[in-house]
Amino acid sequence: MLYLELLIQGIVQGSIYALIALGLTLVYGLLRILHVAHAALFTLGGYIGVIVTNQSGSLVFAMFVAAILVGLVGMAIYKLAYEPLLNQPPFIALIASIALFIASEELFRIGFGPYGISYASQPLTGHLELFAGFRLKYAEILVIGMSIIILSILAYLSVNTRIGVAWRASVTDPSMARAFGVNIQNVRYMNFFIGSALAAIAGVLVALLNNFVEPTMGSVASYKALAIIVLGGLGNIRGTLLASMLLGVIEAFGTIYIGHLIDRDALAFGFLIIVLMIRPQGLLGVK
Amino acid sequence: MNNILEVGDITVKFGGVTAVSGATFDINPGDLLGFIGPNGAGKTTLMRVITGIVKPDDGHVKLEGQDLSTYSINERINCGLALAQQIVQPLQEMSLLDNVALACGSAKTKSALKSMFYHDRSAERQRARELLDMVGLKEACNAMPSTLPLGYLKRMEVARALALEPKLLLLDEPLAGLNQNEAKGLADLIQSLNDNGQTILLIEHNLREVMRICPLLYVQDNGRPIAYGPAKEVMQISDVRNAYLGKAN
Amino acid sequence: MAYEITLMTTIAISILFALSLNFISGFCGQISLGHAAFLGTGAYTSALMTKASIPFLITLPVSALTAGILGFVIGLTSLRVRHDFLAITTMGAGFLFVGIIRQQDFFGGEIGISGIPATGLGRIGFMSLCLALAAAFALFSILIRGSWMGFVFSSIADNEDVTRILGINASAYKLIAFVIGTATAGVAGALYAHHFRFIGPDSFGFVESISVLAMVIVGGIGSVAGIVFSAALLSVMPLLFQFIDDYKLLLYSALLFAMMRFSPDGLAGLCVRTYRKLTGARA
Repeated sequence: MLYLELLIQGIVQGSIYALIALGLTLVYGLLRILHVAHAALFTLGGYIGVIVTNQSGSLVFAMFVAAILVGLVGMAIYKLAYEPLLNQPPFIALIASIALFIASEELFRIGFGPYGISYASQPLTGHLELFAGFRLKYAEILVIGMSIIILSILAYLSVNTRIGVAWRASVTDPSMARAFGVNIQNVRYMNFFIGSALAAIAGVLVALLNNFVEPTMGSVASYKALAIIVLGGLGNIRGTLLASMLLGVIEAFGTIYIGHLIDRDALAFGFLIIVLMIRPQGLLGVK
Repeated sequence: MNNILEVGDITVKFGGVTAVSGATFDINPGDLLGFIGPNGAGKTTLMRVITGIVKPDDGHVKLEGQDLSTYSINERINCGLALAQQIVQPLQEMSLLDNVALACGSAKTKSALKSMFYHDRSAERQRARELLDMVGLKEACNAMPSTLPLGYLKRMEVARALALEPKLLLLDEPLAGLNQNEAKGLADLIQSLNDNGQTILLIEHNLREVMRICPLLYVQDNGRPIAYGPAKEVMQISDVRNAYLGKAN
Repeated sequence: MAYEITLMTTIAISILFALSLNFISGFCGQISLGHAAFLGTGAYTSALMTKASIPFLITLPVSALTAGILGFVIGLTSLRVRHDFLAITTMGAGFLFVGIIRQQDFFGGEIGISGIPATGLGRIGFMSLCLALAAAFALFSILIRGSWMGFVFSSIADNEDVTRILGINASAYKLIAFVIGTATAGVAGALYAHHFRFIGPDSFGFVESISVLAMVIVGGIGSVAGIVFSAALLSVMPLLFQFIDDYKLLLYSALLFAMMRFSPDGLAGLCVRTYRKLTGARA
């Protein structure tokens, strides 16, 4: 029974990781930038979700607004911060991204206060009684369900639409894609829009699970998402999804069994280092 | 046999594809062996086996009778190999002179710990200047690599490899990307190095220059050796002609 | 006067710490996002020893040793993974360090170690020691940069594969860079512990690792003089901005971002370009 509960917990957490890490891996695949500030968009999504829900009373509407707004912010970050740095050594963009992330955390703190905010009345508070006292919160069902639906839609679009194909071509071989008339610039904008919107949705979902958003809610997510995309094999989407789920489950079990030795967040990195020493290119990375 | 390099029955498979199968040849002191073959013949793969970047599934590479199979690339270089790569890779942040001088200083860089006690670079720079002069780059000594055309950098690669004073010089398509005049000039240089006693393995796609300067040829097609011997005899073999000119001829 | 002494000591420790990272990231091109872990290793080693009544000066070489051994292990990982993978691996090592420290009562757990005894050198004596060590390491750095070791380091930073093709054992050089850099960070950590007299897991987290990397990059990666200047500047900046306490981190990160965005080669690069512009305008 405990095993099953831990497994479910792991999958819920893994779904959140997947939504966050996917945007990060998309950015890496296209631009080779470790986009730490991505986690700030996750936080921003959480804030917008809570505020708009409190004002309008509709969670669905709030999630929609969060995705669109944060998507646009993501595009602006690309245009203003990363595009001018593309020809610099990669650590320049990395440091710029970290600076941006710290600055955003500070802005959240100054703008919305250091103690965080909650839903006026928390939506989706109930739970489903499956069997023999085994419960699944509605919010948890929503997290798993939305992740599956969103990721399936994206997978479908990337294979079956013109823009999806253009996007995949740009990731595999930018110069070839350009030769075939793909507008790389538009692909990059779209990439940032979608990746950021996914992070925003993840933010809204986490806000729902915890009924709480705070300025630093992105910190752990940020570094862990980096670990995940490296674990998956940088820029490898299937690897990223696999790593997200694995990490979610490993954390859930690890906290119980070896939590007294190292804390939960360090667990992810311990796992990361072990995997990289065995497979330097990540789980599904190609050498 | 006191051959310098012995390539024995090398086989390399990538996944299910056999890239090189049963490659075998020797290089004796003073040889200039041309290693030719059409695109996809497995030339680069075999070169990588010799330098240790690719591990062969079967066979051996020996340098002066010493099996190299457990050696890393830098250890192989220390045994007496030197490589000028197909894709030129200058160290971008230093002048041509320092690119070559670094290679001249192998005595000083051999022990990582001791290297901190050596400061003087003048002897190595002097030697580097001579080498750059020899490959015709005297006037470009102090230029940064990013400011120079490919032809210069190809010559720098050769000078840098020579700086290691190798027993065997490996040249991986040194003429690729050069125009006819540049190619001829560099081929002449390779020949004169050989005349001065340098043993060379020349991997090349430019058949015309290879035929002009190489007395010995080794030919590979689809990963299989199809001919090995004096250039004139090799070119009489029908398989070689077919590989290059197509079966129709 | 007491304030100035504290300030100078803080600056000296920051310079030593930043130069220790420069050895690895600036000279040898191995970006590390977990360097604070080595500061922490030195700090905990030294603090636990002096609390057990071992004289402070004896703890310095021991701190260098423990941090250097840990650095050797992390250096070994750099032989397996490179570039972005290495950056994230070192970041992971930093998180692992904090994560382990936090759960162990031996290290004071979440609360950390307080009441670290004084060094017995006096405030001025301690400041002088810090300054002397920082200056000595700056000199050592300049000396190494001009040596054949420095020559090989810059070659590895430029292109490791080519370095190997030149017959150079790049792995040995990388390990040396890691060991020297991390052992020095360990010494800086010992000084840090006895300067603040209190250490906790949060003193050596990701933010510290990034701050020190920022010092190196803002100074101009590889430039000893630039880094000495930027380490001094960035370590006093939070103090200078004390009057706008609430906004100091925002300002700090905004400056860091602006630096990367408009002068990625740091203050050293900025100075060189300004100098060229000025002399060019005169000519």
